[in-house]
Amino acid sequence: MHAAVRRIAFRTKRTQPLEVAVASRALAVWEHRKVVGLLVRRDLKVKYQQSVLGYAWTMLEPLALTMVYFFVFGVILQAERGMPEEAMAQGGFLLFLVAGILPWNSFGAMLSEAPRAMITHGKLITTMKVPREIFPMATVGTKFVEYLLTLPVLLVFVVVLGGSFSVMGLLVWLPAAVLLQFAFGLGMTLFLSSVNVMFRDVERMVRIITRLLFYGSAILYPATMVLQAGIPEWLKVVYQLNPLLGIFEMHRAVWFADFAELTPTAIALWSSVVGSFLMLVIGYWTFRRLEMSVLKEL
Amino acid sequence: MAQPSTYETDGAGPVIEAKGLGVKFAVNRRRKRSLREMFIHGTKRDPNAEGNDFWPLRDVSFEIAKGDCVGIVGKNGTGKSTLLKMIAGVLLPDEGDVSVHGKVAPLLELRAGFNDNLTGRENVYLVGSLHGMTEKQLDERFEEIIDFAEIKPKFVDTPVRHYSSGMKVRLGFALISQLEHPIMLVDEVLAVGDKAFKLKCYAAIDRMLANERTMVLVSHSEKDLRRFCNRGLYIRNGSLALDTDIDSALTAYNEDTKAEIEERKKRDEAKKKRAEKKSEGEKKPEGGGKKSEGGEKPDRKKPDPPDGGQ
Repeated sequence: MHAAVRRIAFRTKRTQPLEVAVASRALAVWEHRKVVGLLVRRDLKVKYQQSVLGYAWTMLEPLALTMVYFFVFGVILQAERGMPEEAMAQGGFLLFLVAGILPWNSFGAMLSEAPRAMITHGKLITTMKVPREIFPMATVGTKFVEYLLTLPVLLVFVVVLGGSFSVMGLLVWLPAAVLLQFAFGLGMTLFLSSVNVMFRDVERMVRIITRLLFYGSAILYPATMVLQAGIPEWLKVVYQLNPLLGIFEMHRAVWFADFAELTPTAIALWSSVVGSFLMLVIGYWTFRRLEMSVLKEL
Repeated sequence: MAQPSTYETDGAGPVIEAKGLGVKFAVNRRRKRSLREMFIHGTKRDPNAEGNDFWPLRDVSFEIAKGDCVGIVGKNGTGKSTLLKMIAGVLLPDEGDVSVHGKVAPLLELRAGFNDNLTGRENVYLVGSLHGMTEKQLDERFEEIIDFAEIKPKFVDTPVRHYSSGMKVRLGFALISQLEHPIMLVDEVLAVGDKAFKLKCYAAIDRMLANERTMVLVSHSEKDLRRFCNRGLYIRNGSLALDTDIDSALTAYNEDTKAEIEERKKRDEAKKKRAEKKSEGEKKPEGGGKKSEGGEKPDRKKPDPPDGGQ
């Protein structure tokens, strides 16, 4: 017990316990929430100002991709056979794709920007005294707003394709999916942004990993197709341990809440909850751990 | 503590207090440490901690009272800017502590935060807010800022990437001189703009200093230092060599510089002599062999007295 107390005191340098240090840091971040808002607004402004079509572009790209995927996976490879028959009336494979690709798009964009979240703000970080977490948070915040901006498009698809609104979907799956996605994303961003300052290779690695995660998280096909495939049981468990699988199944369960095949399994559900939380803790811990070195490198 | 400071104001206590400040940079760390070690031991346990560390600053302690204007002098690379960054809180010391009472305006980089794609107006609002100014304050002072920066009205809503570098710095200075933080940290930024603008800057700084504000200034310009500062810290080889009034600090710095120049001159002379001797030696082959090694790579330490000169 005594040793444990001393260890904590050593870690935080000052004599305050770890929880107090984290809490006071969280408070400092809260006090600077305005700065996060400013950075988010600036990023959005810059992004939409430079192009004529602005907002339309962020929609056109995923929509074009959706059409390609629909053609390749739906029509040619017939991934829609993994969907239950009755679900076809509620929007079918096209809604299934859109509901997964739109949130993925903002998540993938977040991952690709995460490694540079600290580096691009190097000048600001070395001149302004704010809690450094602010900068990764701003990156995540920007992507969150961009995600919100995709919702109207999704709604258009839901209405046109005849999707159904359900209480379970809107009050349980949607908030859970958004919360977990951005908790996981924030953890990733904190982790990647700090590590990338020390090892720039991270940036390249992330590009490959994002690809893998895209195909591994059942964005383009129902996860049941893997779970019913003739592969070893342990491989199926490993497949479901990917927190993103559960998260993106939740995104689609919003519109297909009544179908057990299209909602996350127990393992996928728990791994997404626990995985997101763990990622957040690991990300934050790494970020704080590397903070001193990062400030010297920038 | 060792010597009574004459600069303390009564009762209020120091505004900036540094105790045993030290910061280290590891040389070649990236190549020698594995990812695993980095994560398990963080920054604390470096496998090759001994010998590979470089301390730009170590064991620096001082106190700065309210209303002081402190100039930091010293050679390039002695850690002046590092010290400023630690006071600003944007670099964390490895040793010791620095406590600052009051809000700090870090004027370390005039253009920091300006986004090239945003217009001058947007940038003023953005950076102003980042430094804690309210929208109302900015509305009130916007005209003044633009006027001070001598930005023509037609450029106010042009993206900053089309500005000349002079315009950007002027805008930066104009904005930052509106900050009302009680402590200002300045890193060489006084030397911006053309002659006329510089004069305006000086006036603005005088005005900023007027109401009991504290300033720490890093500069190589003796004129600037003498003009604003009442106190000088002389940093030599990473430690605080002198903490006195600015004139004594500058005098000490100049003396050291002079000594250094002398030494370099001597070294150069010795080198030249050796080279001469070498070329002489080449003409007379019997003496050439033994001196050639010394001639190729002159000693970097104090030159030996030219022994065999005659």
